[in-house]
Amino acid sequence: MVIGTATNPSRSGLEPIFQSSVDEVSRLVGLEKEELEILEDADRAANELLVSEFEKYIERKYNPEILGVLKRNNLMGVPIDKEYGGRGARQLVEALFLERMGQTGMGVITFSDVHQCLGSLAVQDWGNEEQKARYLPGAAKGETVFAYGLTESEAGSDPASLKTSYVRDGAGFRLNGSKYLISNGSIATKMIVFARPEGGTGAPTAFILDTKDKGFTVDMRLEEKIGLFTSDTSMISLEDAFVPAEDLLGAEGKGLSVAYSALLNGRIGIGSGCVGVMEDCLNQVKERATSRVQHGKEIARHQLIQKHIANIESSLEACRWLIYRAALKKDEYERDPKNLGLRADADRLSAVAKYMASRCAFDSADRAVQCFGGFGYSILSPVAKHFLDTRVARIYEGTDEIMELKIASSVLGKQFDAYR
Amino acid sequence: MKLHLEGSNVMNSSREKVYSLLTDPRFIAKTLPDAEEVHLIDDTSLEAKIRLRIAVVSTTMKMKMTVSSVRPPSKAAMTAEGAGSGSSLKITSLFELSGDNPTSMNWSADAEVTGVMAGIGSTLLKGFATKKVTEIFSGITKAIEASSD
Repeated sequence: MVIGTATNPSRSGLEPIFQSSVDEVSRLVGLEKEELEILEDADRAANELLVSEFEKYIERKYNPEILGVLKRNNLMGVPIDKEYGGRGARQLVEALFLERMGQTGMGVITFSDVHQCLGSLAVQDWGNEEQKARYLPGAAKGETVFAYGLTESEAGSDPASLKTSYVRDGAGFRLNGSKYLISNGSIATKMIVFARPEGGTGAPTAFILDTKDKGFTVDMRLEEKIGLFTSDTSMISLEDAFVPAEDLLGAEGKGLSVAYSALLNGRIGIGSGCVGVMEDCLNQVKERATSRVQHGKEIARHQLIQKHIANIESSLEACRWLIYRAALKKDEYERDPKNLGLRADADRLSAVAKYMASRCAFDSADRAVQCFGGFGYSILSPVAKHFLDTRVARIYEGTDEIMELKIASSVLGKQFDAYR
Repeated sequence: MKLHLEGSNVMNSSREKVYSLLTDPRFIAKTLPDAEEVHLIDDTSLEAKIRLRIAVVSTTMKMKMTVSSVRPPSKAAMTAEGAGSGSSLKITSLFELSGDNPTSMNWSADAEVTGVMAGIGSTLLKGFATKKVTEIFSGITKAIEASSD
């Protein structure tokens, strides 16, 4: 059976607001045929996820359909190099992919961002050839799901103060400690874990941990969040968890370099998802405002509703191109990885983009709830989930405050760093 | 809020058989999922209480359905109208048959939703409607093919 809808007939035409993003990027920057295919797959996957995301959100449960839909549409390895079975997408295309997925909500974005931008790209950027060959094909197919074990209950914005420790043990390392607020924590098959040498003040090291190891435990699924219900968030423990020597990621003591470079990727990812959220808020508000009648006319004719719409649209346009610019700068840096100036620019622009997109998405979702009135206060409305979910975008992968300090530091110079 | 859906389906049965069953409210009544208290009004209409589920929220709507032959054995129409739990629903659909064992059916449906259900937005409603329509046509196809045996 083939079913289509008038606004999105089977397999022709992307979601309209996303189509306009793709058309503009295509016109101004250029997109190859393979890249457009990735975006068509993203469009299809987002449509496939609509119903399950809604249902699971109301149940306040992780949505297990996310993995299946992304696998089916070959979207688990968008930025992974083709030689390892991925789609080989540059950052700009990864950003567009996450923009479209963001229209379904930050739950899907969190899953994808952690698996691809934090996990897979950490291995691709810092792993040796043997590690890349061993892990990336599985990640691209969705047979491996990554989580990112950096945050601890006493080490959030200050990852350098993490306490999880490791000791050498024969042909590998033993890790002990606890990680908190770990997205994909209870569903991941592999986790990038950061730990420091036991007892000392040595710098952290990154490891690729197999979550089947008997020393790995999911202590708790953190289901009491105020939003982001369809994303898995967990607390995990490591008790003499063993990591073979060949799963040390990057050089010993260079874990923070791994962490910060992954976060650069992750911030553009989260920001892209926030752009998608703003697009959905605009779509939903436009539909609601042009159909709901109060005081004898559609509420879209009331000026104070128009003010909300103008604000959402302006935020969307501004943030969209901030994200694309950050992504283009990251792509430029990828082509010239020894250029530290480009690295600094990419870091600065990703911080600016994530900071602005997350705040604007939260504001847009707040305005969208307001436009929906009483019904907007229900998670049955299409905008309430965006309001609840975007609040975390101002916290995870770099709080607003840390982004502000990074941005100020980039203007003033490292000698003015306020967060060291 | 207005929705438009269209699609196609293939059935391993003669066109005449498909047409006659699709325009028979007694047959339609048997294939409706989540239907409670179905009763026939006459040869072209039925009334039913239909339970509509959206996630963990369910509502019961009292619906009246009427089938009409537009051009036998190729074209037929069906309207369904009803209300319940603060929402109302009106669907006008058209079926067009071609071929003969297998018979192809192209269909289109225009729905108008008001009230609380309209609030969840057309993007999601289309998603649910597509899921429901798939379920309905799957049931109809099985029932038609079974009755041909």
